[in-house]
Amino acid sequence: MAHIRPFSAPLSRLGASSIASPVSCTRLSSIPYQTIRCAAMKAKPAQQKKKKTRNTFIQYDLKRADQFTLVDAMHYIRAFEVGRNPSSSKYEMHVKVRTLKNGPVVRNRLRLPHAVKTDIRICVICPPGSKAAAEAKAAGASLVGEDEIFDKIKEGVIDFDRCICHTDSLQKLNKAGVARILGPRGLMPSNKTGTVVSQVASTVQNMVGGSEYRERLGVIRMAVGQLGFTPEQMQTNVKAFMDTLKKDIAQMSDRITKEIHEVVLSSTNAPGFSLNGEFRNANSIPTKDISGPL
Amino acid sequence: MVHIVKRMRKLRELLWIRVGPGAIIFPKEVSRIRMEFNEKIAGGHRGARKFWRDMLPRIKYRNPSVPMEVARHKDKDGPSILEIYTNTIKPALPASSSQQTPNGQASSSTEPSTDTPQKAAHTIDMRMAQESDILAQLIARTGATVIKATEAELEELAEIEEQKERSEKDRVEVRDKLMAQRREEEMLKMARGEIVAEN
Repeated sequence: MAHIRPFSAPLSRLGASSIASPVSCTRLSSIPYQTIRCAAMKAKPAQQKKKKTRNTFIQYDLKRADQFTLVDAMHYIRAFEVGRNPSSSKYEMHVKVRTLKNGPVVRNRLRLPHAVKTDIRICVICPPGSKAAAEAKAAGASLVGEDEIFDKIKEGVIDFDRCICHTDSLQKLNKAGVARILGPRGLMPSNKTGTVVSQVASTVQNMVGGSEYRERLGVIRMAVGQLGFTPEQMQTNVKAFMDTLKKDIAQMSDRITKEIHEVVLSSTNAPGFSLNGEFRNANSIPTKDISGPL
Repeated sequence: MVHIVKRMRKLRELLWIRVGPGAIIFPKEVSRIRMEFNEKIAGGHRGARKFWRDMLPRIKYRNPSVPMEVARHKDKDGPSILEIYTNTIKPALPASSSQQTPNGQASSSTEPSTDTPQKAAHTIDMRMAQESDILAQLIARTGATVIKATEAELEELAEIEEQKERSEKDRVEVRDKLMAQRREEEMLKMARGEIVAEN
């Protein structure tokens, strides 16, 4: 049995057709020769140069890229979105940053001047009947409680998009064993994401109409507008988003350098348009034309 | 993020939205366009859908201020129509102008309606119609001007077409190579498996 093994490697050199044919059987006689070949093969990978690992994302030159003004991009996007349901399609923003692969990531939440999504459902975990619970309800949380929420989650009923936890309930939450369900969905409250708070009411207020963004693979993506927005509305939203982003990046500048490389405006059904930072140029259509309904 | 070359190629192909069938400019009085057809193509709604997918973006690109609406129902025997709304008064505020009158059959009997025109000026039946027929009817009814592609644009279109052909050829080549490689690996695996089975 042991002497059959070495054949497997030399066989790999043969054409596919010769395997099935009886020709290969004749080779059974030349064991020494083949074992040598096998050794040679084994030695090969060691000689191969080790590939240098890259710790940054591949960067590209934007000099030859087509870039658009905001109005032009919106003009195209609105053409692509024609006939779609205006409430389901959204403008989205993709920001590519020059950064390390393994460095810290940008992650924050902001409230845009013109809210994109208003029907967000928030779950607040705090002792029922407490002051915090009442405040959370008043601020617009859709689910408030402790044990009943845990039971629901364990059953697989998750009818909320955000989850925050009061500091007093954190221990109970950690013991409840819902992290396995909430964790993969990014809903598990934790100190790191700023979703374990003592001031529940203000956080809920920020979350209603606020949106979250984070960097993944060197790109930050976020929905920045509804399709019905006028160019001016979009401009304020984009500005607000970029300002917050720059502030975030400046905050971590002592640890690591990050630079914004490219800004792309896209939408649900349209291709991505790289923006050149201007609002409109001489050839753009008047903003009035793309202010109306789709 | 999608690779830059891929994105730029797509943007280069944006040309399709600027030229081709559907690159028309409506006269000023066209105020709104509305389409209604089935979600599926059964029952003669194929042309309508094609029209929406291929030509409506071009029309929208050339007439950004004209609202265009697409309503899709689930009944295959339901209507398959394209409605064109017009107003006699020149649109000071496009789309949201309050004084819009349907002047379809040049009848002034209807009172100036309030917000939206009650009746469409023209209605095109799109059932069992090819998308090119629908476009031809639309142009004929509204009197829209067709934009012809310029020499440079035609040239670029041809270039894109050529590139597409070339990439298709390359794709086939690469796929063949890959398949041969995979086949070989599979054969090897089978050969090894047979050895194990014999043991």
